[in-house]
Amino acid sequence: MRILIGLITGMISGATPILLAALGGAFTFYAGVFNIAMEGMMLTGAFFAVLGSYFFQSWLVGILLAILGSLCMALIFIFFAVRLHTDEFITGIALNLFAVGATTYMLRQIFNVKGVFSAPGIIAIPNLDIPLINQIPFLGQIISGQNLMVYVTMIATLLSAYLIFKTRFGLRVRAAGYNAASLDSSGVSSARMRVWSLLICGVLCGLAGAFLSLGYVRLFSENMSAGRGWISLAAIILVNGNPWGVAIISLVFGFSDGLGLLLQGYNVPSQFTAMVPYLATLIALYFYSMKLKRTPIGRAYLRKHKHEHS
Amino acid sequence: MAKKLLSGITGICIALLIGAGMMLAQGYDPIATYQALFQFSLFGLSPLATTFKNSVPLVLTGLSASVAFASGVVNLGQPGQLVMGGLLATLGGLYLELPALLLVPIMILLAMLGGALWAGVAAFLRRAFNMSEFISTLMLNMIADFFTAWAIVGPFADRTANSPATLPIDKAGWLPEVGGFNLSVLFMLLAVAGIWFVFNRWKAGYEWRISGQNSLFARLGGCDINKNFVTVMLVTGALAGLAGGLVVMAGPHRFLKGLGANYAWDGIMIAIVAGNGLIATLLYGLFFSAIQTGALGMELITDVPSEISLVLQAVLVLVIVAGREYLSTTLDRLAARRKALAARHNPEGEFP
Repeated sequence: MRILIGLITGMISGATPILLAALGGAFTFYAGVFNIAMEGMMLTGAFFAVLGSYFFQSWLVGILLAILGSLCMALIFIFFAVRLHTDEFITGIALNLFAVGATTYMLRQIFNVKGVFSAPGIIAIPNLDIPLINQIPFLGQIISGQNLMVYVTMIATLLSAYLIFKTRFGLRVRAAGYNAASLDSSGVSSARMRVWSLLICGVLCGLAGAFLSLGYVRLFSENMSAGRGWISLAAIILVNGNPWGVAIISLVFGFSDGLGLLLQGYNVPSQFTAMVPYLATLIALYFYSMKLKRTPIGRAYLRKHKHEHS
Repeated sequence: MAKKLLSGITGICIALLIGAGMMLAQGYDPIATYQALFQFSLFGLSPLATTFKNSVPLVLTGLSASVAFASGVVNLGQPGQLVMGGLLATLGGLYLELPALLLVPIMILLAMLGGALWAGVAAFLRRAFNMSEFISTLMLNMIADFFTAWAIVGPFADRTANSPATLPIDKAGWLPEVGGFNLSVLFMLLAVAGIWFVFNRWKAGYEWRISGQNSLFARLGGCDINKNFVTVMLVTGALAGLAGGLVVMAGPHRFLKGLGANYAWDGIMIAIVAGNGLIATLLYGLFFSAIQTGALGMELITDVPSEISLVLQAVLVLVIVAGREYLSTTLDRLAARRKALAARHNPEGEFP
């Protein structure tokens, strides 16, 4: 029972940053932006979260600064990709590099350390004990006592699904991706919808970063997002951006994360257990392409793209 | 060509100005900083030789990315292919006892084999299961990273070293310095020349380029797209692997922890800045190497931390790429306006 609870808790905390970033990516996915900058936004968020938490002795300021930092990255993306019409893929890669460079530089400049910054002064995001529910024997230990950000993520998933599918705003975002010209001709600027989707993505990636550096642990290390932004991109592609699908896929990745930790108990070298989420992504990609082969729409898609690479 | 040169040089100037602005904002003297930066990377034989030596992994991974992107193959796996090539070459140097004349070529071949095999995994996944190489190469990067990290603390670890590393390779596998320049530079230039020749003068290279520009046209013209995809994947993997092997043989002479991390995305970055041009890749690779090499020296005589080179590089990429695209759309717009004007003045006449 203890192992099971540990596994589920590990799954939830592993899924949280991926899900938050992937929800942000879902908005840009629907708006027709090929956004691969989640990795960089998350990393920037993680850095600024530690910065705010350390200097202001408050995790709340940490989260706010994380959102601001990540929004700055989104603004740079908007300036280059939406305003100057630079290639989105290239902008995203450059932005990810910029995030690694800038956070490493600031780590050295502000905290005077290389590699890792951890200090007792960093205040972590607290766990939330829900009264009454925490009395329930098995379920209580899972539902209650999680990190605050986990609950924020649940709300964010609900809100994202509602926004995208049930509101006029969401309709316009989807229209911007589906047929930008007809949206423009109906009097709504598709460029503006793309800007909004990127700003939302910035906020959500900032939250993901804050969870990485203040929820999981209480430190910032160079490049600590470690490919999670790419995994969230894979999750979005696998389910075509649907927030509920994204949530399920994120939980699968989170589970593989937890599974990796469990395997360490059986003397598997930690380097191999750390590979598990990335292997899981490859396996998920395999099932995705197999599914594509079986459905009629998928077969049509494959025929159309059979001789195109990328 | 002239347009490319113009946008490249303007981009570099603007990026350096932005960098100067950031230094000013933090109270550093930008002129003294840049002077120190280029003094330690370009002026004098020894700094220049170091810059060239450090450019080897940058240029080769950049070349790998350029060839892949220009052929329409999204190989983002250079970091993983580099470490796998480096590891395999190191193993050759550890366990083979051969004279230098034999060992060096064998290690180089092993390095290329390592990179090609790792790229081959992604190529196989694409061909057999139709899995996009875009995600799979990224995931394979992380897997290769952890695999090599395990190899250097597990089976091939040097227990006496302070940080995780393999034992040093056989002295016969060390690349010597010739006239101050490391021999790895020669291998790099040979690789650039060879790839340039194949890419621009051979039928195979023509097919790759056409597949990248218009895959439908290439297919109707009789190219075997799938075969070309696999070939490009293997060749670009071999190039990235070669980078790893040469780094080991020229520098630390062993596989160190974090060997690939330093060059992880640099190759892709250079290919992007170079617009997938092969000669441009060489030039930008040398330029980025100059910044990285100079930054280490700069740190010694100024207060500016060497990490500023990372920021400077990212600014360079953004500014050069955005500048290039902005310039070309502006030029197109101007040309269109000229045509429109000409058509208005001379409605029945021919366009000039």
